[in-house]
Amino acid sequence: MTRRAEWTTLVTASGLAAFGVSLVNFANGGGIDVQVGLTFLVFLIAFGTVATAVHIWAPKATPLLLPSVVAVTAIGFLEIFRLDPIRAGLQRWWLLIGAALASVVLWLLASRGTSVLRRYRNLILLVSVTLLVAPNLPSDWGFPIRGMEVNGSRLWVTIDLGFINVGFQPGELAKLGLVVFMAAYLADHQKALREAHRRVGPFRFPEPRQLIPLLLAWGASVLILVWQRDLGASLLLFAGFVLLLYAATGASGYLVSGAVLALLAGFTAYQAFDHVQRRVIGWLAPFDHFADEGYQIAQGLFALGSGSLSGAGPGLGRPDLIPNAATDFIFAAVGEELGFAASVAVIALYSLLVAVGIGIAFRSRSTFRKLLAAGLTLVFGVQVFLIVGGILRLVPLTGITLPFMSYGGSALVGNLVLVALLLRISHEEAG
Amino acid sequence: MNGPIRRLAVGIYVAMGALLVAVTWFQVVRADELKNDPRNARPALTERGKERGLIVTSDGVVVARSVEEEGSRDFVRVYPEGDVYAHVVGYSSHLVGESALERAYTTDLRSRRDLTISDMISAILGRDLRPRNLEITIDSRLQQAAFDALGNHTGAIIAIDPRTGAVRASVSKPSFEPTLLLGAETVANWEDLVTDPGRPLIDRATQEIFAPGSTFKTVVSAAALDTGIAEPGTTFDDPVEFALPGSTATISNATGEPCNDGVTTTMLQGFVRSCNTVFAALTIRVGAEDIGITAEALGWNRDLDYPWDIPRAVWLTDELSRDDAALAQSGIGERDTRATPLHMAMIAAAVANGGVSVTPYLVDRVFDVDGETLETHEIAELGRAMSSATAATLTEMMERVVTEGTGRGAAVPGIRVAGKTGTATGQAGFSNPWFIGFAPVDSPTIAIAVLIEGNAASGDASGGSLAAPIASRVIESWLVGR
Repeated sequence: MTRRAEWTTLVTASGLAAFGVSLVNFANGGGIDVQVGLTFLVFLIAFGTVATAVHIWAPKATPLLLPSVVAVTAIGFLEIFRLDPIRAGLQRWWLLIGAALASVVLWLLASRGTSVLRRYRNLILLVSVTLLVAPNLPSDWGFPIRGMEVNGSRLWVTIDLGFINVGFQPGELAKLGLVVFMAAYLADHQKALREAHRRVGPFRFPEPRQLIPLLLAWGASVLILVWQRDLGASLLLFAGFVLLLYAATGASGYLVSGAVLALLAGFTAYQAFDHVQRRVIGWLAPFDHFADEGYQIAQGLFALGSGSLSGAGPGLGRPDLIPNAATDFIFAAVGEELGFAASVAVIALYSLLVAVGIGIAFRSRSTFRKLLAAGLTLVFGVQVFLIVGGILRLVPLTGITLPFMSYGGSALVGNLVLVALLLRISHEEAG
Repeated sequence: MNGPIRRLAVGIYVAMGALLVAVTWFQVVRADELKNDPRNARPALTERGKERGLIVTSDGVVVARSVEEEGSRDFVRVYPEGDVYAHVVGYSSHLVGESALERAYTTDLRSRRDLTISDMISAILGRDLRPRNLEITIDSRLQQAAFDALGNHTGAIIAIDPRTGAVRASVSKPSFEPTLLLGAETVANWEDLVTDPGRPLIDRATQEIFAPGSTFKTVVSAAALDTGIAEPGTTFDDPVEFALPGSTATISNATGEPCNDGVTTTMLQGFVRSCNTVFAALTIRVGAEDIGITAEALGWNRDLDYPWDIPRAVWLTDELSRDDAALAQSGIGERDTRATPLHMAMIAAAVANGGVSVTPYLVDRVFDVDGETLETHEIAELGRAMSSATAATLTEMMERVVTEGTGRGAAVPGIRVAGKTGTATGQAGFSNPWFIGFAPVDSPTIAIAVLIEGNAASGDASGGSLAAPIASRVIESWLVGR
């Protein structure tokens, strides 16, 4: 794809977001207003900035990534606008911030490349862990940075600067930092990890000593589950680490041990925690527990079923009946109003993004970059599967966001940075 | 290292494929089921404030209409006859969904003047987008009479025209005011109705199956007469207790006495006096298969075409053909034998109609704002359930029940009434009184089933003492003074 074609798709996708907004307006009796223009402009400026940054600092990067990202962001945005215009306004600001940050990342890596990340891996780990535990700061102390509990999970940090109060989820950025650290760590120890193993039946198991990092990651995930009551992040982090460990070593024993550890933790969590039990009940029998545990999932399925093939039309369905539709259930909201066609398109776009990411990993010659690209892509793919699969009852529902589509500033910023990293790697490995 | 990454990539693609399969399952395969789930408020919500069509009885009484609210362009639904039609007309609420005819005919009743693309295209093609109206088969006077006759009892009455299948009255109690589900208190009222131990939202006439008790003896008799296994005069032993084969259990009569003189009796006496001893023996003689053939011709063990789903009436042919003790109990309408009052009224109707069963229906025609008919119901025969000779003999037997047997309470002065009583095992040790019948005998125009769900208030009332007099009042309302 040429740059020109890339720009054409950027403009088209920005137009798609603006067109969606105008359709929602029409459904509510309005027309083309300032929201339509603003949406078009913000999309064009945000993604135009990233595209320009890529053009300057990573000119050999794959042109296949960005258009899909704009498309899913546009589809998600139109549904956020439909559900809550005020949040959509905020989301536009976050889109600009995220695009700026992604461009800054491209600029920072321009001179020294992604290998600089490998060198600072311990610092990155420290920052990530700090970000991860930040929500556990007291929520009532004098210091202007405070933790906050929302819907029973402790994922938020607010910065109160007196004149403005900004809330964000540091975990979304910590996730990226941890993947960077894991890739660096595994690139360093890959040889040792790969060679030290023994065979048990068809599986290659690592030496007990080599399992220590696995156990550490597991411990960290369990702590998140207990401390912050965030099933999704906990699962995602652990899955990311196990999959990356396997990618680095090829030892299937890691997958087996990982699955055993996850099941063990999951079972214990089910016994011990009310919030995990509620998730499982809602997953297994949403319609039998319609009034409480299953309500959100049942409403999500009603939304999808009511949307059927062609959807109700933007603004004409009732996705607002799903609790937390803009954050947790944006996929179901899109399915209701844009129909099965859009659901399939969204899954296809995510598959395409994963395929491009995996392709970048394949072509990478450096171990670190290979593992980084693979790690970022795997975490991204697993996240999509966990939340969409949760809505479609394939797995228990975890309250994680759907990348680029869900309402949520921190997630949008984090995922744009993730794409910037992938773009940079593809540039470094190209020709 | 590309090997493991490739395998992981394959894993993710498989997962994405699973998402595609799952989304197809919910949005294509099960889409209608999810969309029409009564707990899904969406279909009704999109209709909020829109005009819906009229529902009118066969004699012109409006039972549902939309009225434009003052000061707004929104319409509100009004049910002028309230709880009398609650289970037939149902409700259309944007918060708790729709029920009964409001749900079954919602696509006809709704106005199509909205923004969906397909409707805009229809408008351009000149199609009428105004709501359509329903004319239903219910007769308002009979409906009111049935509602009054049932009094404060828990139960149901359903009356159908045996010649056409037109449902002339369908009442279930306790009932509810559909208007409760329209206003500001909808959700609180809904909670009350759902948790009410009397379950007022359930239509006991068509949505719940009960043991039919001795009213099922009509089916056994029809099978016996049709196969020639017995005639009214066929004699039977007359014990106090009938010993169930292969079991120490026994079946006795409601009176605790033998049916006749303790030596011999006849099928006719067994029918008129509702003797379980006689019918236990007769049932085993006829056999599960032949009873099953008659029952199935009357619409049992299968789905019926009705505006909403009717639970299947149950006769376990296969299981009972291997177990005579169970068969004998089932033949007197107990054990696993189950039917809705609608099914039981259909039995009386088939006898009244010379042995031919007609599919019952509720909506006579759909008409537009100008009164022009768009659809009419066509009478659909379910099939011949028994020969006309059998029907004639059974009619005589059923008339004897009302003139000299357990059903004397159903008699109407000056009218020849035929029927059969039943007193079935109900819940919590209370019995459920039944009556099924039709009138007038020489050219029947109404077939009826009355069910009382036994409770502390009804005590140990029987079909003859409680259900038959109620049926008498309903039949009288239909045939006298019109």
